[in-house]
Amino acid sequence: MKKTDADELSIANKEIAFQHQEKEDRAAELIIANKELLYQNEEKENRAAELVVANKELAFQNTEKENRAAELIIANKELIFQNEEKERRAAELVIANEELAFQNKEKENRAAELIIANKELAFQNEEKEKRAQELIVANRELKNAEDDIRLLNEELERKVIERTAELEAVNKELGSFSYSVSHDLRAPIRAINGYTRIMAEDYGEKLDDEGRKILQSIINNSKKMGELIDDLLAFSKLGRKQVTVAEVFMNELVQSVRDELIFDEGDNLPVFDVHPLPSAKGDKSLIRQVWINLISNAVKYSRHKPSTRIEVGAYDEGKMVVYYVKDYGAGFDMQYYDKLFGVFQRLHSQEEFEGTGIGLAIVQKIVDRHKGTVWAESVLDQGTSFYFSLPKI
Amino acid sequence: MNYDDVEILFVEDSTDDATLTIRALSKSGFSNKLHHVVDGAAALDFLYCRGIYSGRDSSQYPKLILLDLKMPKVSGIQVLETVKSDPKLKSIPVVMLTSSNEGPDIEKCFELGANSYIVKPVDSDNFFHAIKEIGLYWMVLSQPAH
Repeated sequence: MKKTDADELSIANKEIAFQHQEKEDRAAELIIANKELLYQNEEKENRAAELVVANKELAFQNTEKENRAAELIIANKELIFQNEEKERRAAELVIANEELAFQNKEKENRAAELIIANKELAFQNEEKEKRAQELIVANRELKNAEDDIRLLNEELERKVIERTAELEAVNKELGSFSYSVSHDLRAPIRAINGYTRIMAEDYGEKLDDEGRKILQSIINNSKKMGELIDDLLAFSKLGRKQVTVAEVFMNELVQSVRDELIFDEGDNLPVFDVHPLPSAKGDKSLIRQVWINLISNAVKYSRHKPSTRIEVGAYDEGKMVVYYVKDYGAGFDMQYYDKLFGVFQRLHSQEEFEGTGIGLAIVQKIVDRHKGTVWAESVLDQGTSFYFSLPKI
Repeated sequence: MNYDDVEILFVEDSTDDATLTIRALSKSGFSNKLHHVVDGAAALDFLYCRGIYSGRDSSQYPKLILLDLKMPKVSGIQVLETVKSDPKLKSIPVVMLTSSNEGPDIEKCFELGANSYIVKPVDSDNFFHAIKEIGLYWMVLSQPAH
């Protein structure tokens, strides 16, 4: 036992040392564990802080979710509403569809009609083409006709020119004919008249009354023939005479005609009653002839009426002035009116009233050439009114 | 025949007109010194002392020429033209006698210097009257230079 004790002591010692060591290790370990715990503590604190943050985050998310839920409720309602709308729209679409179907059918009908109409149009088109063809033919014919007309017109124009030239030549010929008539026809009549007069003067005493009467008849007739030739010439000259138009002062003209006319004493001169006469447009020398003829006629046919009068006047009628010469003389039967203005036409015998029957023809020709009109009114045995119109100034 | 104291030269181709005119003039006392020729050529022979008039005194001229317008050979117009363009003859009064007042001749006559004209009327009374007037006027009232 002392060795065993020492050994036991050493082993105990050793044990103690070991335990000591163990304790130290253990303390170190405790320190480390402590440190570890401290660390874990810190970690837990960090974690707690993180949890607080996360908690906050969750609370926020919760709120968000609530908001979102509220929104979803609204959205839901909206969707419900939209759904209803869509249903309504669908109903409408059904109706529209039906309408479309109907329209479609209509269109089909219409299309069928159009096909018919088209056929009709095609037919009409054909007709029109035919018509157009016909028109082309007609047009061509028309054109030909126009050409013909143009040719005819040209031909006519040429003929007119030709005829005008011919007429001018004839007119000229007529002029020289008038001259010849005037010159050559008058010469033998002049000789007859002159010799008969010589015979009456130089040998009258050797003849009896009957013989002298016959000589006087020859003288009268040859004189008459001279007058006829002169009047006829005057009348034919009128057609060729140039009309020079100017203002004609009628009262002046009528006065000078009255002054100039020499009436036989046997004419039983009527009283002249001349009203104011407006001016007119005319050829003074020709209008003068009208007054001469009408006034001397009025005097001539008043011859058998005692103390009678002649009225000269005028009145307006539109663009014309109408002049008149009114007598209260022999007058004439209106049923012979159409002969009144004819050349060599007379409504009275030479025994009643002498004359060549050309005076009124001259009047008419002159008034015609002034684009006026001449007419007359008469009652047999009561008198005659002659009217003529001339353009106003 | 003595042509020297002829006062009226009467140019007229128509025998009838000449007879009547001469009668009218003689009734008025103008026929004694009248010489009648029947055409214009004879009239010019007379005035210029030619042909049968070669013996005529060329210093003596008629006081009046009565000139018919329409005549054969030399017409009245031609005689008038010759007379009025000759300084020695142009102062002789020329009275034209015409059968009518138709035609452009009358104007032409006045242009050429005719002094007057008479249209021979059918009625010889008027003719005598006109001839007498003309004769009186030109023979008595007017004093020709020659």
